Amino acid sequence: MKRYAYYLSCINESMTKEVDRSIDLWQKDLGIELVKMHESTCCGGSNLDYVSPKHFALVNARNIAIAEKMGQDLVVSCNTCLMTIRSAKKKLDETPELKKEVNDILKKEGLEYRGTSDVRHLLWVLVDDVGIDAIKEKVKVPLTNYRIAPFYGCHILRPSKVLGHDNPVEPSSLDQLIEALGGKTIPYEHKNRCCGFHTLLVAEEESLNVAAEALEEAIREKADFIVTPCPLCHTVLDGYQAKALKQAGDEKNSIPVFHLSEMVGLALGYTAKQLGIKRHIVT
Amino acid sequence: MTVTEPHIEEAKKDITFRVFRFNPQIDSKPYYDDYTIQVERGITVLRSLNYIKEHLDATVSFRAFCQAGICGSCAMRVNGLSKLACTTQVWEVLEKCREPNVIKVEPLRNLPLVKDLIVDMDPLVDKMKHYSNWVESTMPEEKMGKKEFLISEEEFLKYDKATDCILCASCVSECSILRANSEYVSPAVLLKSYRMNSDSRDAIHDVRLAELVKDHGVWDCTHCYRCQETCVKSIPIMDAIHGIREDAIERRGMKDTSGSKHAEAFMSDIEKKGKLVEATLPIRTNGMAWTLKNLLPMAMKMIVKRRTPPPPPLVKPTKGIRVFRSMFREMSEHVREDHKSHNK
Repeated sequence: MKRYAYYLSCINESMTKEVDRSIDLWQKDLGIELVKMHESTCCGGSNLDYVSPKHFALVNARNIAIAEKMGQDLVVSCNTCLMTIRSAKKKLDETPELKKEVNDILKKEGLEYRGTSDVRHLLWVLVDDVGIDAIKEKVKVPLTNYRIAPFYGCHILRPSKVLGHDNPVEPSSLDQLIEALGGKTIPYEHKNRCCGFHTLLVAEEESLNVAAEALEEAIREKADFIVTPCPLCHTVLDGYQAKALKQAGDEKNSIPVFHLSEMVGLALGYTAKQLGIKRHIVT
Repeated sequence: MTVTEPHIEEAKKDITFRVFRFNPQIDSKPYYDDYTIQVERGITVLRSLNYIKEHLDATVSFRAFCQAGICGSCAMRVNGLSKLACTTQVWEVLEKCREPNVIKVEPLRNLPLVKDLIVDMDPLVDKMKHYSNWVESTMPEEKMGKKEFLISEEEFLKYDKATDCILCASCVSECSILRANSEYVSPAVLLKSYRMNSDSRDAIHDVRLAELVKDHGVWDCTHCYRCQETCVKSIPIMDAIHGIREDAIERRGMKDTSGSKHAEAFMSDIEKKGKLVEATLPIRTNGMAWTLKNLLPMAMKMIVKRRTPPPPPLVKPTKGIRVFRSMFREMSEHVREDHKSHNK
């Protein structure tokens, strides 16, 4: 059983509880154990970095230091947390004086940021550590009849100097996972585009236009559902779906949007109810 | 049996350039023309287009000048991605072909089309003017040309990368928000504004900043990083956008715009609870009236599905919040000290 330090994302603790709930159902089936980091704090959600770059470095050095103390890699299941914490790590590793300043403060809690734990997305753990072949073997209910639109979202791909796992233009890890679970990925132009989440409260009309384009393509291509590794993308594509499509002049269509963790759960034999899929706005 | 060295086999290929065509004065809708030519390894997309224009079809229109990645004229979308035709080798983009050896060449997005691969750059120029993206000198007119106007190396390093911009508009073409609203300031303009606002010779920092924080300005960027990823000069454009935001918060305070209030919520929630209090985020960003008008119908749906974020008293602070808070506040002291020494 391979263990990881599992970072608790704010949104998965509040609006998208089904993410962690579904991961809890199947993690042991795939031979991994995600140990929850109850002491971790909000990463700053791609905002703290410019409000106060130093606080941004401190809170994320602390988050990573907790994982380091556990002797494990830090694993997240939210794209923005991934990008934010990895950005902080890059900055800390490249700026010795910042690392020292932060570590002087972290001493208070008996923590030290050393830079020994990697920061990874759950999708990467599944594809790279568990492995496509092992996942194939565990599938109980293959997603054979489903046409699936893989929506990667921005912060698992860009900036590529910070993320560096998938090719930001032609990402493939989510496609590989879908195929391992027996599903069929559709060609999807929006796979590496934006959902508009980060401006929902500041420029709602623009955000909904961005989301509508991604939804419309999946509907046009007759996808059975969209799957995303990011709960923020899910919140827009599912929660704001009706509003976005209405703004684009479509009041007829809708398309379900699944979390990565729910899609895995379905293929491993768990029910929609167990996985929390019924909690979605579009069902 | 003949044996062909793999590198010789690959040295020449028949490549089809599927070129976007549209002449608004004649055509009712756009179409694509295919031109198949033999291309040698090392040849650029621009050389190929020049060949097509000279030998196959003189009516294909595109802009190009320096052929060396300096002037920024030949930006276009090659297999869907905005880049300079003159620095993009045909071999580099072959992997990205949907159909083997068929390269799609299209005009930049988010700017009005003039003809074929040529877009109208005027909206971008107008925005540069709107945000006064030049140095408005602090030196009195009578001293101009008589005295050197030096800037420190330390200062220049702040915007050195930003000065690499050649205004090719690749970032403009890739921008998610500009695609959603053509009034949005756009990444190239923000980059230039950041560069001007960081220049100590410039006299209109506050005026420019006041314009940048208005609607369709710096707060509308949705952090998708497409601009930065596509930049032909590898300029960290998001650092410039975040730089303007940092400056706006520092100079104008956090109570100013919905963008800055939204950003501030992260800072204060993390200090108080270690996590975000999502339930009140819309209210703190836009006020109660906006929240009721815009989010009430969705809140009802969310209540039915039991996915509403918990109200503030039910958001349990993270484990070990006391020590965390004291460390957070210690860092606030550091930041205050930094500002003091910075202002000296």
